[in-house]
Amino acid sequence: MLKPHLTRDSAEQYILGALAPEKAAALEAHTLECEPCAVLLQEEALLSEQLTEAASTFPREERVVRPLAWHARRAATGAAIAALAAAASLTLVLLTGDKPTHPSVPDSLDANPPTLALELDEGDSPTKSNVVACPDLATQDFCTRKAAERGLLVMNPWGTAEVPRYEARTGLPEGALSARQPVSL
Amino acid sequence: MEASRGTDEESLSRKALAGDRSAWDALVARHHRRVVVSLLARGVRVDRAHELAQETWARLIQQQQRGLLTELRLPNLALTQAAFLAADDARRVRRESISGAVEELPERQHPVDPAVSAERRLLSEEQLSRAHAALAQVSPSARSVFLLACDGQELPHAEVAAKVGLSVQRVRQILCEVRKKLRTALEEETHA
Repeated sequence: MLKPHLTRDSAEQYILGALAPEKAAALEAHTLECEPCAVLLQEEALLSEQLTEAASTFPREERVVRPLAWHARRAATGAAIAALAAAASLTLVLLTGDKPTHPSVPDSLDANPPTLALELDEGDSPTKSNVVACPDLATQDFCTRKAAERGLLVMNPWGTAEVPRYEARTGLPEGALSARQPVSL
Repeated sequence: MEASRGTDEESLSRKALAGDRSAWDALVARHHRRVVVSLLARGVRVDRAHELAQETWARLIQQQQRGLLTELRLPNLALTQAAFLAADDARRVRRESISGAVEELPERQHPVDPAVSAERRLLSEEQLSRAHAALAQVSPSARSVFLLACDGQELPHAEVAAKVGLSVQRVRQILCEVRKKLRTALEEETHA
């Protein structure tokens, strides 16, 4: 049985995420049965995306967030800041009046300069790599396929980078391959 | 508060990139609705939109587990992935509906570029300026509410309400009012 058709308001509430879960589910179920309501929902979604684009490109200098009582509080805040500044100045004058006026001299001149210990996090180091090589020609296809399945990049052995290789041994005596006559194995 | 929100998002993204499942859950909860809405806006049915959104997150988590994600900028990355999946889905449906050679597919003449469709502009320059003009005419407090809720950072309405000192109900009411004004501005432009 068809549920009530969507209104623009209900579609808008759904897009804004303001509907209760059961109402949202009922609305979704209805759009699966009713094409005009599905289109209405898609129109509201498109409008929402367009408004997001408009909001994100709105000039930022105008985006000042202030509480509603901002203007009423501003005068009081200014007075409080002025009072705090006056109190700080008075405290500074009183404290400096108790101390000797000659400039302080460091006890020793061979003090070590300040040092800053840098600790590199292993997670931040750029040594992690997802590049592998498949140098063995016999198993290269299989190795390449497996690496691709695991999301790893494969470095071609005929590329310009250095790729570890190993020499394969055929088990044949030296000169057997180039010999013109049968060679005893 | 905006700075703390940004820091929170960055912290979650860092943890998610390190494989923290709870961080992924928090990011998915925050951005899932936007992904679904973006798919609906592309004409995807609501049931398929939910499936594609789930697949979007699954793919992102899979890529992270494979070490292929170097940075995580949400919601843009998820929106791009979802757009790619939607385009791929549409291609598959068209292919199945056409019984014939591959050469007959419409994509052969007009290839679908997922990158273009993912980052398509929804508004023309003229539409954008009309929307900005309409937005400039609403009251500053209503504009603040709208910009906080709709600038793409997916700030929940409760957080917007706390920030501006209003109730959630009032925030939603303001959003509906501003949407109505901007809708009128965009429709006027379209019909002109």
